[in-house]
Amino acid sequence: MQTRPLRITAYTLCSAAGDGRAATLAALRERRTGLTRNDFGASPISTWIGRVAGLETQPLPAEFANWDCRNNRLAWRGLTTDRFIDAARAARDRYGAHRVAVVMGTSTSSIGASEEAYARLDADGRYPADLRRPIIHTPHSLGDFVQYALGLTGLSVTVATACSSSAKVFAQAERLIRTGLADAAVVGGVDSLCGSVLFGFNSLELVSPEPCRPFDVERRGINLGEAAGFALLEKQAPRGEWLLGYGESNDAHHMSTPHPEGVGARLALSDALARAGLQPADIDYINLHGTASQKNDEVEAKLVADLFPATTCASSTKGWTGHTLGAAGIVEAAISLIALEHQLLPGTLNLRVPDLACGPQIQRDNVQREASHALSFSFGFGGSNCVLVFGRDR
Amino acid sequence: MTLRVAIEGVSFWASRLPGWETARAVITGEQPPPEAASTRPSPTLLAPTERRRAPDTVAVALEVAARACEAAGRKPSDLPSVFASTHGDLAISDYMCSTLATTPALISPIKFHNSVHNAAAGYWSIGTGSLAPYTAISSYLYTFAEGLVEGATQVVCEQRPVLYVAFDIEAKGALATMASSRGLLGAALVLAPVSQARQHRSLMLTTESVGECHPTPARSAAAPLVADNALAPCLPFFEALASSQPRTLSLALGRQMALNVQVN
Amino acid sequence: MSATQSAGERELAELIVTALNLEGVAPADIDPEAPLFKTGLGLDSIDALELALEISKRYGFQLRSDDENNVRIFSSLRSLAAHIEQNRVTA
Repeated sequence: MQTRPLRITAYTLCSAAGDGRAATLAALRERRTGLTRNDFGASPISTWIGRVAGLETQPLPAEFANWDCRNNRLAWRGLTTDRFIDAARAARDRYGAHRVAVVMGTSTSSIGASEEAYARLDADGRYPADLRRPIIHTPHSLGDFVQYALGLTGLSVTVATACSSSAKVFAQAERLIRTGLADAAVVGGVDSLCGSVLFGFNSLELVSPEPCRPFDVERRGINLGEAAGFALLEKQAPRGEWLLGYGESNDAHHMSTPHPEGVGARLALSDALARAGLQPADIDYINLHGTASQKNDEVEAKLVADLFPATTCASSTKGWTGHTLGAAGIVEAAISLIALEHQLLPGTLNLRVPDLACGPQIQRDNVQREASHALSFSFGFGGSNCVLVFGRDR
Repeated sequence: MTLRVAIEGVSFWASRLPGWETARAVITGEQPPPEAASTRPSPTLLAPTERRRAPDTVAVALEVAARACEAAGRKPSDLPSVFASTHGDLAISDYMCSTLATTPALISPIKFHNSVHNAAAGYWSIGTGSLAPYTAISSYLYTFAEGLVEGATQVVCEQRPVLYVAFDIEAKGALATMASSRGLLGAALVLAPVSQARQHRSLMLTTESVGECHPTPARSAAAPLVADNALAPCLPFFEALASSQPRTLSLALGRQMALNVQVN
Repeated sequence: MSATQSAGERELAELIVTALNLEGVAPADIDPEAPLFKTGLGLDSIDALELALEISKRYGFQLRSDDENNVRIFSSLRSLAAHIEQNRVTA
């Protein structure tokens, strides 16, 4: 059974760089970062973050109070941007509520709510009353909320494979549609800032004290960010950019370090190109994982230099958004789609002197040119890799 | 919508049902449940560095994964895999939340890197050297059925065998009041395309839109032994497998979705 | 032939075995002059971070990951124990 190309009939994203496609495009064009000094929590680590402003004062609508927490507020913000929710509801009406699947990616879901509960336990060691809602203290908090908020009644699942989560959702949804288990799917991901990720990545000494510098020879680590993104995939539609293929693999190497030769990444890439029926020379733009960690960028730069011609432009956009972990896949897929739609290939912020491993493909500056095909790379903690292939609306 | 897959291997682990042979015998009534609880399995396929870091989730998931592959006669490194857990590592979540509430700067790097929902999948791929893709999912109360659908979907789409591993562990601390689960429970299947494995048992999975789910209840002597683990909804499926006769059952796949399973 | 451990080395050996869950390693059996990393005990960079954390909790001072002497400090049980002795804040 061949992978079938699917139309992406709606998509959106909210990140520190802006709410929605137009705002994101403007931030990309104007080289305007969304990163700010870390001010998250009681004793913030010295780093920079991609924070989405205003969530603290934007509780969910009353009918969703059961799911209220930062992560789901950010999800709702994303759903109501670019009228994505209208597109999802129209799909529900067209196909039937049970025929639209929900496949959401995240790394920590709403663990921030559990963290808060532990900080506010009552005298008997119990959760405070306002947080005694089991659904927000479990990984499927996100997928369950999105399904409920969209009035859908079909398959619903949360994928949590760290940084590849909301890229893998595209692959998973394509298979559901191909086998006929669904006619359409709402895919995407949401991850929000929380103590677990800030202090957790800090304990691994992966966090940079300055704005992140992907592929720079003097990079000092990652910046964490939060974001929400969604895409609507349909088995048949007259318009929309294309999901042409995907590739998935593992490194089988180490939980927090990529394979030094990028073995898994190369496998995922060749699988993705094979499914899409494309060659490296067909690729105009690659949105790299480019976290600005020592190891990731070194391995990724070499992979690109080895396998792609100089005509392929590649960049990391994490200098605009930060590393949004479980949402990185969808955010960067959306940016790749924006790039194809507007023929604007974003460069890499904060890149001054490229690492020696970089070839001519990795761009500092934005490039305005014709582009038909884009790839998005997501290489996760635990060695999970996913490469997505997108094509212009034709 | 119906999917057909073959089952090449089955495994199961709970502290009073340590292994599929024991679980099957208790389910069918051939033998009474063991009196004593077994200690958690030791993940021998991990190198010493990974083995000593492995939390309970990894220990139980890798045990059932390895046993299912053995039963199927398949090399682990050949198989893509689906790892499913309702709540993930509840002990580490309790640790993270407690430490963040008191001394956030003292988070253990090892515990953090074990806190990702894909930790078990990651350790499995490292221990087996498998480059084949894995996924790690949750669907809350519907996790077992959803994972079964995902595994079967991958088999049908890619026409290759897939390993499906499901597990849940004991909740600790204040989180236990929100995400309740007792004991360790793990189960795994090697699923394969029907055409490649005629001599094996097969499954027909049909999704059905319903007003309300009425999953088949667990009935055997095994039921009380796993009833308060978050993955207990899987047991009726294994009760059906324990029988040598064709059986049908229904699993809850969503608030308004049932998964009708025919075991042949 | 292993050199014998001092009291401080023994205490550190116990910390290492507990913090890193070194199954089947008796603290008293760690040769104080053998390598800790790669060979010898075979610890890796994540173990180093974990150890630094435990040492800071127990002995009250921060092991800096950018200290250029780290290779030497971490080279053996003996060198690490000596470094702790020089820098510890808690009794």
